[in-house]
Amino acid sequence: MATETKFGYTACAKYEALLEDYLDGALELTDAKSAEQHCRDCANCRGALEQAASSVRLLRLAGPSVGPGPAFARTVMARIRAAEQERSSERAGFWQPLVSLGWRFAATATLVLGALVSYDAGWGRHAQRNLATARLTGTSDIFAPDPANPPADRDEVLMMVAETNHGK
Amino acid sequence: MADVPKSMAASAQALPLSLDRKRKKEEDRELVRLSQDGTEAAFEELVRRHQQRVFALVGGILRRPEDVEDVAQQVFLKAYLGIKRFDQRAAFSTWLYKIAVNECWDYLRKKKVRPLVYEADLSEEQVSRLDGIVSADRPPEGPGARAETREVLDRMLAALPEQDRQLLVLKEMEGFSVQELAEILDLNVNTVKVRLFRARGRIMDVYRRRMDSSGKLAGSRSTQRKG
Ligand SMILES: [Zn+2]
Repeated sequence: MATETKFGYTACAKYEALLEDYLDGALELTDAKSAEQHCRDCANCRGALEQAASSVRLLRLAGPSVGPGPAFARTVMARIRAAEQERSSERAGFWQPLVSLGWRFAATATLVLGALVSYDAGWGRHAQRNLATARLTGTSDIFAPDPANPPADRDEVLMMVAETNHGK
Repeated sequence: MADVPKSMAASAQALPLSLDRKRKKEEDRELVRLSQDGTEAAFEELVRRHQQRVFALVGGILRRPEDVEDVAQQVFLKAYLGIKRFDQRAAFSTWLYKIAVNECWDYLRKKKVRPLVYEADLSEEQVSRLDGIVSADRPPEGPGARAETREVLDRMLAALPEQDRQLLVLKEMEGFSVQELAEILDLNVNTVKVRLFRARGRIMDVYRRRMDSSGKLAGSRSTQRKG
């Protein structure tokens, strides 16, 4: 079966890729021989191969397009640096209002945190006391600490418990 | 600025063509790694190593010499910005050439043009000169003659479907291999071969029609196979 073109020779469809390889010098000897044999027997493929060979001659007449100048790499690197700089200044420009807001927020947060820490220190001790009280009152009223003289910290609570158990 | 290993830069400058491909790929890998770590000089070396091929590829697709440099710069800029995400599973060159192809398509889309538009046909004088060159089978002498031949060929190639034109130009004028074309253009290798072979027939048809219309190939067998 042959594919359709208006002018010239058209190779058998199943030989097209093989003939392209043949033209490219990319075939092993046995494949090259079988391509040659087919071209001897088939006028279409023979004509198409001749046609393709002239296309190589025709297209190679012009040679490759113009290459880069000697300064190309340096120009590229300069463009890259400029783009990077632009990106970082854009980033800074975009975040600037947020940054100053951020600083103000950080300052406020530090103050608040300071207040919280000092409050927490006092509250923590208080809470610990309550916890100890709850535990002790939960076990037995006998072990209830002297409300007038609550334990100052966990160690004191443990000491109290140990003493009362020991006494029992 | 950190430096590229000296031996690498020196060998790349001294033997750009004789470096075997495998070694070159290994060196590319190392240069990519250094670039990913932020070594600018390593990226600059990659630019030097691949600029010629990127120009060929972009030039082959756009066929507008005045735009090639700008697009090629853009290709390397994109590569630089994306290099940290490049996982080195493919060769650097393949990755870079794909960026180049995409950049060309973007560019053409933005400009809303076909890669090449030639309204005017060839003059009789041009046809005659080309015929002389082809039948003598020798390259035109001097940069002026070469440029003119190129222009004539570009006009003939413009008559082909875009993909045919690209394949022929990249293969025969810019020296890309079938394997490379398949990778760059995301095509099956066999498809590239078949399309290339058919495109050869088409460009020769264009050539023969030009010659026929100017009477150069009167009585040639090109007309025997019509239909
Ligand atoms: Zn055949």
